[in-house]
This record gives sequence, structure tokens and C-alpha cells, in this order.
Amino acid sequence: MSEYLVRRLIPAVPILLGVTAFTFVLLHALPGDPVLAMAGERFDPEAVASLRSQLGLDKPLHERYLNYMGGLLKGDLGESFVSGRPVSEMVLERFPKTLLLAGAAMLFACVLGLFAGVLSAARPGSIADKVGMMSTFVAVSMPVFWLGLLLIFVVSVKFKLLPPSGYGGVDPRYLILPAVTLGAGSAGLIARITRSAMLEAVSEDYITTARAKGLSEVRVMVKHALRNALIPVVTVMGTDFGSYLSGAVLTESIFGWPGLGRLTLDAILKRDLPVIEGSVLFMAIAFMLVNLLVDVSYAFIDPRVRVEERKGES
Amino acid sequence: MSTLFKASLPCLVALGCSCAGSADPGAFRSYLESEPTSLDPAFAVDVSSGVLCSLIYERLVRPGDDLSIEPSLAGGWEVSPDGTVYTFHLREAYFSDGKRITAGDVKHSLERLLRPDVGSPRGWVMAPVVGAEGFRSGRRDSLRGIRAVDERTVEISLKEPFPAFLSMLAMPSASVVPEGRARAAAPDDRRDPICSGPWVLLEWTRGERVTLARNPRHWGPPALDRLVFRIIPERMTQIAEFEVGNLDHLQIPKSDLARWTSDPAWRDRIERQVDLAVVYIGLNNRKPPLDDARVRRALNHAVDAEAIVTRLMNGTAVRARGAVPPGLPGHDPDRPAYRYDVSLARELLARAGYPDGFRMEIWYREGGGADQVLEAIQAYLKDAGVAAVLRAREWGTLKEAINRGVPDAYYLDWYADYPDAENFLYPLFHSDNWGGGGNRARYSDSAVDSLLEEASRVVSSDERYELYLRIDERVYKDAPWIFLWHPVTSEVRQPWVRGDVLHPLFYGQRFTEVTKTGRSGRDAG
Repeated sequence: MSEYLVRRLIPAVPILLGVTAFTFVLLHALPGDPVLAMAGERFDPEAVASLRSQLGLDKPLHERYLNYMGGLLKGDLGESFVSGRPVSEMVLERFPKTLLLAGAAMLFACVLGLFAGVLSAARPGSIADKVGMMSTFVAVSMPVFWLGLLLIFVVSVKFKLLPPSGYGGVDPRYLILPAVTLGAGSAGLIARITRSAMLEAVSEDYITTARAKGLSEVRVMVKHALRNALIPVVTVMGTDFGSYLSGAVLTESIFGWPGLGRLTLDAILKRDLPVIEGSVLFMAIAFMLVNLLVDVSYAFIDPRVRVEERKGES
Repeated sequence: MSTLFKASLPCLVALGCSCAGSADPGAFRSYLESEPTSLDPAFAVDVSSGVLCSLIYERLVRPGDDLSIEPSLAGGWEVSPDGTVYTFHLREAYFSDGKRITAGDVKHSLERLLRPDVGSPRGWVMAPVVGAEGFRSGRRDSLRGIRAVDERTVEISLKEPFPAFLSMLAMPSASVVPEGRARAAAPDDRRDPICSGPWVLLEWTRGERVTLARNPRHWGPPALDRLVFRIIPERMTQIAEFEVGNLDHLQIPKSDLARWTSDPAWRDRIERQVDLAVVYIGLNNRKPPLDDARVRRALNHAVDAEAIVTRLMNGTAVRARGAVPPGLPGHDPDRPAYRYDVSLARELLARAGYPDGFRMEIWYREGGGADQVLEAIQAYLKDAGVAAVLRAREWGTLKEAINRGVPDAYYLDWYADYPDAENFLYPLFHSDNWGGGGNRARYSDSAVDSLLEEASRVVSSDERYELYLRIDERVYKDAPWIFLWHPVTSEVRQPWVRGDVLHPLFYGQRFTEVTKTGRSGRDAG
């Protein structure tokens, strides 16, 4: 297993190198001068020039990249142009909050998605199935922005059940709305995939066998069919969870959630290059780790997939 | 599903009741749209930072509600007859760490804006002071023009008379911080800022909120104990938070104003105020055919700004008849505006050699909410034969492009840095300020240049304002922009709020007089 992990982690090095190089070049080539963003609406050219040299932006691109990489190898992500704070500190202060939101959203998506998927698959063509699949269709296609505002206005303003926005740690009052908003799309997708994978699984012979053995329907569905249907579902969970870690900008903005997405968005608007580079790198690492976790989990879900076999593939 | 929902309802209600509208009669709950970038006044160039700095630091003077300059840290001052030497007498005041605020602190704070090792983008505020260049270049250790005469007297000498300088000292950048720190709230030294204002920083939770506490050492301490600014970027979320009673006031988004003004519950709790700002379409005065004043005037005649203001913007703006906004001396309320007249516009274009009109690009900020009005303007221009192409650009990209004079025209606004007509004319229209200095239209008129130089030196207020009025009129006729409007801010307050006023400058409100009648937020419903 550890050998497998090492083999999987080796390609991560060139990928991360690529990510840093690509982000760096892209950001420095983009229009929008970080110094102008800091200088405000009225400034004198001397101040701008001195600020530019203070930030090292007057150096040629390759020199800046080498400096950046040199720092990176020492574990130094640099300092924010705008606030002067270490980027690693800024990212680490926001990341747990994003992780919490992503985790809650995924929990919601899994519980609801699996429940609805199994229910639909158990009685294909029934009213429950049709209603279920119709609602998942709505959930998948509903824009996050719209759903978030809708929830705020119905749940918070109209019925005054939960606070409209804000961060309260694990306090469910603050967590429910953003988690539902962020997780709704995944819930729908998970439900649809669970349903089709389950339908495929129940037509297999071992299900007939299980039923013939006289096992209860619940046991047949959950223990036998669901377990075999889980692989595509886990894949979707992993991809979605990974994207939550980097792409929850909208949800975080609507609910005033102080996560990594908002930090990155603010940094983009202010052209705070070190913060953007640091966040993107962090997101890339998080995404790769989640994917690795998903791959490893296949082995636990499906005994047929063994780590040894996968070794041969890579 | 529905049963599940019903079953969970009581538990949601139970959760909700314990939290809605955190009743806090000792705290005023406001919000900021974006995270402040810095609590160092030398780097406070964004609105959020400016608001906070103006609350936690004192300046020598401050803008009064009527925009006159009032004493603040300086209890009084004299100006020499030739208008070049300002002598400020500090009142007895203390920093939040208990040390007395001295003339040395004031000198240090103002010098900091020019110090090469600090690198503040606001050096221009101190540029009129004697010795500014030598000090900024590092050739001298001390700024000659600022002198601590004794513990409580500061003398500032200017190169030449410049009466607007006094208003510039009211800006957040001119805040007083203790001597001995290069950076007042430097993030790298991790110390809390030592405050001099009516409020002190209690806590700044990044991305979430900034909490200020009453400064008991201040000579005019606030009535309330705390001032909480939540960081809420989304307009709709701000509205929701206000509606459930979690915010004590709200600036109503322009698109939502009609709903509030027609609601009897809120109608009488709305205050409106014309901003010290102007919104315009800057025309690149160097690019043909926009280098021809007849063409620029034609564009002003072609756009019915009055109709857009009344019909499209529902009273969230007043038409601009120049750059100087209402409320500032130098504004002329009686100036005739460009008459909406398509045939006149066509005639002017024909006389300039463009009988069939021309094509131009108007760049604007993406996501700035201007699409609707720009489409209306585009339609008006089309009637006059001008094909305007609208190009949305991300803010950083837009700013850089217009500073370099890339687009033919651009939709932009200018908000006052300090309350003086000079701030709406000198940076925007003097030919020394092309690009980043403010004159992004690259307008140049030698007569306007010399009038601006003359006006900035005139010591008599009446004469000065009269001159600015004339300059504004001349520029308006010369039409370097399509003059559009001055935005109007509408603020609504909770019924329990007393003493909250809307100041025309974003850094003018000090929240010291604000009180709450002690009703909880939950009663609002």
C-alpha cells in the first residue's frame, strides 16, 4: 500500500511544477497592474515606481519566477502585495473554513443523494421515482447563486428560521444554508448516478441469488446492490468535493463565508499575485489528495479492485 | 420528503429563535462590502480601509456635516496672511496606549506619506509642503515644511498658497499615528494599531468582521460601546441581514430603492444624500474624431441624460451640469445643461466633417451594474449616427487601459478624496495629470490649465469658488466627457437607531452620536 502511495505521489511533482509555472506566467502576463490596483484612483508616478521596485515587479519575468520557486522550495509562499502578510498564513487561516463548508455540503449531498437514488432504484417507474428524478434534475440545473438567495429569502427573511449569512464554525445554524446551497447540485447528480448504477446492479445474478436466499429487500438493496453501485458514485463525490475546495466562491460570497474561494477572488480583483499563486497551488494539492483518496477508497469498496492490480496500470 | 421537512421544522425553529437578531443595544452593527486592505492610513486607498482608519485615527481637522472643515485633533489653527503657513494648536489628546499625542507624532505621521522606505501611494497629499521633493527622494532626513514648534503646536509651510490643503488634511491618509513606527499597523510586526480616534480596534477576523470599541481616552468618546462591521460582499445578503434585524442600517441598492420607498414601514426611515461624486463617459480627447470639441458637444446633445436619470434610475442620481457636485462651493445649480437635441447633434457632427457619424468603443467595468444605462446611452448615440460599441472589461484591466489612453471612451466615476471643488477640477482636467493623475480623458486646454493654477493659489474663499465655478463652466462647454450624473445614496435605518447620519463623504461619519433605544433585532419582523 505504501509503495502504491509513493508511486501515485511521484507524478504529483511534475504536475505541481506545471501548475506553479502556468499560474505564474498566466498571472504575470495578464493585463491589470498589481501596483495600479494598490495605488488607488489618484497617484503620482514616483510612488508607483518605488512600489513596483519594492515588490520586485521591475525585474524580468524569469528572474521573478526563479525567486518565487526558490522561496517555494523552502516552503515560503511569499507575502501578500496588499497586506504584506505571509501567504501561507492567509491560506491556512481560510482553508479549514472552506474544508468545513465543503465537508458539510458533501455530507448533505451524500445523505440526500444516496437516499433518493436508492429509493428511486428500488421502485423504478413509480411515482416516487418520477418525483425523485424530476427534483434531482432541478437540483442539478439550479444555479448556486439563485438557490442561495432563494434559501436566504425563504428560510431567513420570510420564516426567520436561520441567520441569512455569517460564519459560526460548526454551529449548524450558520452551516445549513450554505451547505445545502453548495451541495444541492451534487446531491442531484449523486442521486441520478446511484439510481442508474443500482438499476444495473439489481439485474445481476448475485442479487437474484441474494433474494432467493430470502434476504430482506432492504438488505439486498443496501448491502449487496448499493455496495457494488458505489464506485461511480464515489468518483462523482471525489470530483465534486475537490471542486468545492477550490470553487465555492459564489456560495462563500453569498453567505459571507470567509473561505479560500473568497480570499482568492479578492486577491484576483486586487491583483495580489502571491496570494493567487499560493491559493491556486494549495487548491491543486488539495484536489490531487482528494483524487488519491478516491482511488484508494475503490479498493475498500470493491474487493475486486485491488491496489496490486492498479499498480500494473500506472 | 415533505414529512421529513415538517419533522425538521420545529428543530429549525428552535435553532432559529436562539439566534435571530442578536439583540445588542451597546453595539452599532454595520457592514463593509470588501475586506479592508490595510489599517495603516498611509496605505488606505480603498473605501473599507478609509472608513476604518477615519474611525480609529484622529486627523488634525475633519469634514463637518456641511462639508466645511472643522477642528478635530487641532482645536484651532491660524493661516498666515499670504496663505502659506498653517499653525495648528493640538488639543490635549491621548493615544490608546495612554501616551499623549504630540506635535512630533503629527510631523511623523504626515512625513510618513512621503518617506521613500514607506512607499505610500498617497504622497501627493503632502506634495504641496516645502521640501517635499528633497525628502521624498531621500536626500533629506526631515521634511522641512513641517515643524513641531512645541509639544502642542505644529507649523506646516507650503511652497505656495493652496487653500484646498486644509481639506486634504481631513483625509484618512493624514491620520495621526505614534512616532517611532514606520508602518502604523504593519502586518509584519503583528502589533495592534495604536489608535488615536474615537474608536479603537478590538478585533479583526479576516473575511468576517472588524469590531471597534469605544476609546474612553478620546476627548469626545462615542455613546455606544462597540461598532461592528461585518464583511458582506453580496448586496442581496446585506438586504436580508438588514431585514431580519441583524444590521442597524443599510445602503439601499439602486435597483431595490422603489420597493423601500413604497413600503410604509420603511418610507420614513430613509435618508438620501447626493454623493460627492460624478459619473461620466470620458472621451479620449487625443483620438480623432473626439479631439474635436464639436464632436464631443454633439455627443452631449445626443444623450438624454435627464431622461435616463428620471426614468431609468428612479431618482438614484441627479443630472450633472459640470464636474463639481452639488453641496460643494463652486457648484453652479443654475448652469443650463446640454439640451437633448438629436438634429443639433447631427448638425454638429456634420460641421466637424462626420455627417454619417462614426464608430467608437465605450469601455466599462464588468459587473459594475452599468449595463442598462449604457445600453440606453448606446441607443441615444445611434439616433445621432454614432455607433457605440460597449466593451465590458475587468476592473484592473480597464484601469490600466484607460490610464494609458487605449479606449476611445470609457464609463467611469470620480469620488471626492477631500471636500473641495479643486478635487473635481485640478486632477481631472489639468494637463499635468493625464492618466493616473486623474485626467484620463487626456484633456488639455492652456486657458483651463492656467485658471486652475491661479485658482489653487487664491486665498480668498469667495474669489476661489467663483474661479472654480468659471473653470467648471468652461470645461463643461468644452465637453471632454459626456457629463452624466451625480449618484444619490439612500440609507435606511432600523427604528431603534438614533443619531446615525449619512455623510456625503464615505469617511465623514464618526458614529460617535449614534445611540440605540435598546430594542432587540428580533422585534423588527
